[in-house]
Amino acid sequence: MNGVLSWFTDPAHWRGASGVPTLLLQHSLLTAAALLLAVLLGLPTAVWLGHRHRGGTALVNFANVGRAVPVIALLSLLALGFVGSADLGPFGRAGMATLITLALFALPPIVTSTYVGMTGVDPEIVEAARGMGMSELRLLRDVELPLALPMVVSGLRLALVQVWATATIAAIVAGPGLGRIITHGYDSDSPSEVIAGSIIVAVIALLLELGMVLLQRAVDPLPAHSR
Amino acid sequence: MNQPPARRILVALMALPLLFTAACGGGSGGSGEAGHVVIVGQEFTEANIMTQLYKQLLEHAGFQTEVKNLGARDVYLHPLEKDQVQVSADYLSSMTDALNKEVHGENAPSVASPDTQATLAKLKQLGQKVGITPLQPAKAEDANAYAVTKQFAAKNHLVTLSDLGKLGQPISLAANSDCPERTDCKLGLEKVYGIKISKVEPLGFDSPETKSALAKGEVQLGQVATTDATLNGLGLVILTDDKNWQNAENLVPVVNSKWLKAHPKAADALNKLSGVLTTDDLKAMNAKVDAERMQESDVAEQYLKQKGLI
Repeated sequence: MNGVLSWFTDPAHWRGASGVPTLLLQHSLLTAAALLLAVLLGLPTAVWLGHRHRGGTALVNFANVGRAVPVIALLSLLALGFVGSADLGPFGRAGMATLITLALFALPPIVTSTYVGMTGVDPEIVEAARGMGMSELRLLRDVELPLALPMVVSGLRLALVQVWATATIAAIVAGPGLGRIITHGYDSDSPSEVIAGSIIVAVIALLLELGMVLLQRAVDPLPAHSR
Repeated sequence: MNQPPARRILVALMALPLLFTAACGGGSGGSGEAGHVVIVGQEFTEANIMTQLYKQLLEHAGFQTEVKNLGARDVYLHPLEKDQVQVSADYLSSMTDALNKEVHGENAPSVASPDTQATLAKLKQLGQKVGITPLQPAKAEDANAYAVTKQFAAKNHLVTLSDLGKLGQPISLAANSDCPERTDCKLGLEKVYGIKISKVEPLGFDSPETKSALAKGEVQLGQVATTDATLNGLGLVILTDDKNWQNAENLVPVVNSKWLKAHPKAADALNKLSGVLTTDDLKAMNAKVDAERMQESDVAEQYLKQKGLI
C-alpha cells in the first residue's frame, strides 16, 4: 500500500499528457459522448414504444445484445476489422470503435428502465388524462414522462456508472483515458500503479452514483411516502 | 428501490476490497506431498505448451502431475515460494526482474542482461532468498524482437536493426505501454541502434493489435516475440538484433527449492528438455497450436516422442 501512496504523491503523475488531470478529462469526454450516443438512440425509441405499450419484448431483447457480447471482444473486433483504428479527435486512436462499444454497452439499462418506467405509469391516470381530452403528445409530455422520469434517470444512472468504469478498456486499443494508468501498471509489473488507477476510477464511479441518486430523487414528482 | 444514499455508499465501499482480493485469489490448493506436482505457467499458447512438456516429462519420471492456470506471474509467484505450486514454466530475464522487484522493492533497477549465464547466476542468488531454484535454461528463447513488413524491409534493404538505424528516417512504433521508459524498448532502439522513434502506440507486446497496426502500415515497427509463428503469414519479418542488445529470455523451469531437495530426479527429467529445445522448435510448436488448431498436449507429446525424451 506504500507504493500506492507514493504513486499518488509523485507530482510527475499529475501533469503533462499522461497526467491524471488530462486523462480524467479524456475519460469524462469519452463517457459523456458514449452515453449521449446511447441516449439519442435508445431513449426516444423506448419512450415511444412505452407510450404505445408495444414492442417492448423485442426492444429489450435487442438492446440486451449489448450485454451478451463481452465488451473487450467487441472492441477488438471493431478496432481490428469493421470500424478500424483511425484517430477520432479527442477520442484518440480507434475512437469510433471505442464509442460504439461503450454506447452499445450503455443501451440496455437505458432502454429497459425507460420502457418499464413508461409502461408502469398507472393506467387510471392515463385514462383520466385522455378523458380530459389531452392530445397524445401532451399526455406523453405532461403526464407519462414526468411520472416515468425517476425510472428513466435510474437507467441513466446505471448506464453512466457502467460506462465510466468500462471506458478504461479504451487503453487496450491505445485510446485515451484513465485506463492508460491501469494498462501501464500491468505492462510494467507495477501493482501499485494498477491499484492507484483503479482507485481513481472507482472513487469517481461512487461519486457519480451518489450524484445520480440525488438527481433521481429530485426529479420524482410524487412525494416519497406515496410510493 | 429508494435506499438511503448513505447505505448505498456503505455497501459499495464494503465491496471495494473484494476488487483487490480477487486479484490475489487462486493461491490455495495443491500440495507438496510425495510425487504430486503442481505445474504453472502464464496463460498463452507458448506457456501452455511448456507446461504440457514439463507435465509429460515429469509423468514419465513417475510423478503425479496437475497443471494449473494461474495466469500471471504475480499470481503464482507466492504459491511457488510457499510450495503450493512446485514447478513454473518461466522466462529467464522476466523472472529475474520479477524476483528482484519482490526482494528489492518495486523501483529496483533491472539486474537481467543479454548474458544468459550472468542472468542465471542472478536468478539463483535471488531465488535463494525466497525459496525457489531455477533449473537449466533451454537454448530456446522468447525475447522481445522488432518487426517490420516484408515490403518495407525489401524497399529499404533492411535485415538488421542497425540497417534501420542507418536509414535515418523517423519511425513510429507499436509496443507495450511501458516502452518509452524501457532500455530494452524505445530508449535502447534510440541509443543502441540510433533509430529515431517518432511515436509509440501502446498496443501491447506481440498483441493482435500491434501486429495489425504494423501490417496495415499505421506504424513502421512493431514489438513482437521471437517465437511468434504468425508473423510470416501476416507479411511481417523480424529485424535481427545484431548487437545482442535484448535480455536473455531463455525458457527455464523454476521450481520450489524445498521440493527439489526431496525430489532431485525431477531436475534430471526437466533438464533433459532444456538440452534439446531450440527457438525454432518452439516456434514450430506454437504454429501447430495457433495455425493448425492442435491441442497443446498433443503437440507436446509429439515433440517429446520425436526427440526420444519419453
